[in-house]
Amino acid sequence: MDHSSTFEKALRSALITLVLIFFLFPILWIFLMSLQTNETILRIPPSILFEPNLDNYRALITGKLQTTAGNLDIAFMRNLWNSVLLSTFSVALSLLLGVPAAYAFARFKFRLGEDIAFTLLSFRFAPPLLVLLPLSLYFKTLGLTNTYIGLIWVYQLICLPLILWIVRGYFEDISPDIEHAYRIAGNSWWKTFTRVAIPLARPGIAAAGLLAFIFAWNNFVFALILASADKQPVTVGALAFVTASGIQYGQIAAAIVLSVTPTLALALYAQRYLVEGLSMGAVKG
Amino acid sequence: MTANTANSSRHVKQSRFMRKALPYILSLPALLMCIGILIPFFTAVYYSMLRYRLNLPQMKGFIWFGNYVNFFYDPSFWNTVYISLLYAFLTVSLELMLGLAIALLLQKPTRFNNIASILLLLPLMTAPALASLMWKLMTNPNFGILSYFAGLLGFHDFRWASDPSTALFTVVLVDIWVYTPFIMILLLAGLRSLPQAPFEAAALDGVPRSFVFFRITLPMLMPYIITASLFRLLDSIQQFDIIYSMTQGGPGDKLLVFQVQAYLDFFQSTNVGRSAALMIILWAITYFLSNIFIKQWLKLRERAHGAG
Amino acid sequence: MTQLELKSLTKSYGAYKVFDGLNLAAEPGEIVVIFGGSGTGKTILLRLIAGVEEPTSGLIEIEGNDVADIAPEHRNIGMAFQNFALFPHLSAFENIATPLRAQNASAELVRSGVDKVAKLLKIDHVLGHAPRELSNGQKQRTALARALAAGPRILLLDDPLRNVDAKLRFEMRLELPRLLRQTGAAVLYVTQDYKEAMALADRIAVIANGKFIQTAAPEDIYLKPATLGVAQLFGDPSINTADTKVELAGKTVNVTLGGAKVPIVSSYSSYAGRLVTFGVRPEAVEINASKGAGLAANVMAVTPLNERTVLLLHSEGGWEFLASLPSSATNIPEPGAKVKASFAASGTHLFDKTTAERLHG
Repeated sequence: MDHSSTFEKALRSALITLVLIFFLFPILWIFLMSLQTNETILRIPPSILFEPNLDNYRALITGKLQTTAGNLDIAFMRNLWNSVLLSTFSVALSLLLGVPAAYAFARFKFRLGEDIAFTLLSFRFAPPLLVLLPLSLYFKTLGLTNTYIGLIWVYQLICLPLILWIVRGYFEDISPDIEHAYRIAGNSWWKTFTRVAIPLARPGIAAAGLLAFIFAWNNFVFALILASADKQPVTVGALAFVTASGIQYGQIAAAIVLSVTPTLALALYAQRYLVEGLSMGAVKG
Repeated sequence: MTANTANSSRHVKQSRFMRKALPYILSLPALLMCIGILIPFFTAVYYSMLRYRLNLPQMKGFIWFGNYVNFFYDPSFWNTVYISLLYAFLTVSLELMLGLAIALLLQKPTRFNNIASILLLLPLMTAPALASLMWKLMTNPNFGILSYFAGLLGFHDFRWASDPSTALFTVVLVDIWVYTPFIMILLLAGLRSLPQAPFEAAALDGVPRSFVFFRITLPMLMPYIITASLFRLLDSIQQFDIIYSMTQGGPGDKLLVFQVQAYLDFFQSTNVGRSAALMIILWAITYFLSNIFIKQWLKLRERAHGAG
Repeated sequence: MTQLELKSLTKSYGAYKVFDGLNLAAEPGEIVVIFGGSGTGKTILLRLIAGVEEPTSGLIEIEGNDVADIAPEHRNIGMAFQNFALFPHLSAFENIATPLRAQNASAELVRSGVDKVAKLLKIDHVLGHAPRELSNGQKQRTALARALAAGPRILLLDDPLRNVDAKLRFEMRLELPRLLRQTGAAVLYVTQDYKEAMALADRIAVIANGKFIQTAAPEDIYLKPATLGVAQLFGDPSINTADTKVELAGKTVNVTLGGAKVPIVSSYSSYAGRLVTFGVRPEAVEINASKGAGLAANVMAVTPLNERTVLLLHSEGGWEFLASLPSSATNIPEPGAKVKASFAASGTHLFDKTTAERLHG
C-alpha cells in the first residue's frame, strides 16, 4: 500500500524537523538564556557556548536581586504561589459545582439544564472584558477587588464550561442501566452517584480538571483587571517584573521558565486527553 | 427482610418533591454562576447607553444609543474594526494552512510522528502572555536572537513589534506560534478518525493523489476544519493577551484591537460608556459566530459520543 | 398473598402511549412471562416496577402496598438487564455482592451469599475477574447472580438470554425454571422468543398495542389463543390462515379454502354467514393419500426443520399452506406428490374477521 519513495520520506522528515525547530526553538532558547549571565546574553554574535549557572533562579527564589543600582526585592515567588493557589482552588471549586451539574444535564433532560449549559458555553466565547469591566466596578462595591475569593469566582468563567461539557459527555457515555442496576440493588441515589457514576466518569473528570488547571494558570486578563501585585499570578507578574527589573534579562528568562514549566509538564502528562479538552469534548483523541 | 418492607412506609418513602427537584438542586450552583455572568452582562449593556466617565461623574447620563452613533463618525473606531478583522483573518487563515499541512505531515501514527505531535502542543500550553514575553526577549534589538538572524538575512535594525510597519507581522507571528498547534491537533485527530475504505479504494484504482486530497480527504475533513477555524476565529477576533503583553496596542494605534481598545478606554480614558459599547459590538459579532460554531461543534460532539 | 399486582398501569411519553391500563398479578414462586415483539414496552414495564421510571397513571402494589413513593432501592427487587449492566469497575464478586453490601451484611455473610449463588450458577471460578474478562455467558450468569444474591421478593428479568449464544440459551432454558422457582420470588420474565416463553412460564402475558391481549398458561395460549395475533405469535412455522365465510350445508359447517369447500366441526354452526379468518396450525394438518378424503393439494416443497418436516402445499384452488409432520412419520410425501389434507379440530380455529378474536366452537 505504501508507495512513498525514499525521497518523499526524506522530504517529510526534513519538513517535520523544520516545523519542530520553529515551534520548539523559542522554549529552548529562553531556557538557555535563563542559565546565563547578562554578559553572555549580550554577546554578539550570540553563541550557545557558555558556562551554565543557576544564579538567576537563585535570585528569584531568594527574592534578592543584585543590580548595579543596588539590591532589589523581587516578589516573583509570590506570583508563582498565587498561580498555584488560584488555579488549584478554581479547579477544585469548578469540579465541586460542575460535576453534579454535568451529571444532572446528562441524566435528566430538562429545559433549564440545557439553558444553563448553553449560556455558559456561549459566554465561554464572549469577550471576557465584556463581563470583567462591569464586574471590576461591582467588585469595588462588594470589597472583592484583589481578593483570592473574587478571583477564584471569576476563574469559574473559564473552568466551569470546560468541566461541564467534557464531564457531561462522559456521563452520557455511561449506560443508565448500570446506574439503575446499582439503585435496584439497594443503594440510594447519592451512593449510586458517588460509587458508580463518578468512578466511571473519572477519566473525563481528570482530563477536564487538568485542562481547566492549565487554562486557569495561563489566564492573564482576569487578574490584570481584578488583582494588584500581591495577588497576581505569574502571567501578570512576569509582565510587571519585566518593567521593574529592566535589563535583568537572565532573570526574566528564568521567571518565564519557572512560569511555564508547570503547565508544560501537566500537558505532557495529560497529552492523551488534550484533544478532547481543547475541543471541549467534541473530538476524541 | 419482611421487616425491611414493613418499616418501608416510615423512613423509606422518598418525597415526590425531592425526586422532581433533584436535577434543579444539582444544577443550582451552575445556575447561580449563569446569573453571576448575566448581571454584569446586562450592566454592560446599560453602561453602553450611558455618557459615563469615571473622572467626570457629574456628566453621567442616559443617552440611548449615543455611544454607538458616535462610533459611526469616529475614525479610531473604524481603525479598531479594521485591525481586529485583519488580525483575525491573517491569524486564522495562516494557522489553518499551516496546521493542515503539519497534520498531513504527521498523519501516519508512527512513533516519531506521535512524539512530534505531542511536542508541538507545548507552545499551545504556554500562557500567551508569557509566550509574548519570550518573543519579546528574542526580538530585543540589543541581544535578541531573532534580531540577529534578521541582520544575517540583510534586515539590519529590524525593529519587530516596535516598528509600526512590522508590528502586526510580529504579533501575528506570535499568535501563529501559539495557536497553530490547536488547529493541527484537531485536524490530526480528524484525519486519523476518517474511515479508511475510500482511501484504499482510491489507491487500488490508482487515482492521482491531488484528486484524493481535494475530492476525498478535504471534504471528509471539512467538519473538523470548520469547527477548528470557527473556534480559532472566535478567540482571535478578541485577542488581548498577546497584543497587550507585546505592545499594549502600540506603536501608535497600530494594534488597537477591540479588547485592547476597550481596556484602554476604561482604564486610561476612564470612558466607561464607550468601553462598554465597544464590548457590546464585539459581543454581537462573537455571538453571531458562536451560534454557527456551536451547531458545528454539536455535530462533531454527537459523532464522538455516538461512537462510544 | 399476591406478591406483585399491577392495576390499570398506564405509561405515555407526551402524546405517545406505550401501554394503557395493564392489569397483572403474580404470586410468590410464580414465573410470569411477558411476551411481545420489540417496541411493545416490555422493558419500560419492568423499569416502572423497579421504580426507576414513573407510571403516568395506575398502581403498582408489592405485597398489597402501593409503592409509588418507595424508592427503587427499597422495593426489594432483583433485576437482570438485557445488556447485563454489570459494573465495569467492580469484580464479578463485587458485582454479585452489591445487593448484600447495600444491606450492610457482614463480610462473612457477603462471602457465603455470593459463593452460594455463584455455585448455583456455576461461575464460582471467575469471581475474581473484571466484567470485561468474562465471556457473554459468564456475564449473563453474573448479572443473574447479582439479581438473585439478596433473595429479592420480586425478580425482573429483561430478556436475559437475548445476548448469549444458542447453545447456552438452550441450556439455560432447561436450567432456569428450577432455579427461579427455588428463589420463591415472583418472577416477571420478558422475552420475545415464544419457545422461551413456553418453556419457562407458569403463565404468559402477551402484550401488543399497549395491552395484555391474553394472560394464560402456556398450553392455553397455544391451544386457545384469544386472538389471531396471539395465534400467529406462538408456533413455528406460524399458523396457516385464510379469509373465508362460515356456511351451513345441511348439518355440515363449511369454510371455503381456495375455492374448495372444507367441512369443519359442527359446533361452529351458530356462526353461519359470518366473515371469519380460518386458522390451522401446521402441526394440525394431516396428510392422507390422494384417494382419501380432504382438501386436494400438491406438495410443492419438503424441508426438514429440527425434529419435524415442513411441507409447502398448494391446494387445487390456489390456497398455499404449510404442514408440519414429525420427521419420524412414515407417510412423508415427495415434492410433486398429490395428497389430500385434513385438519385436526384441536389445531383449527376461527377468528372474527373484524375483531380478530377467536370464536368459540
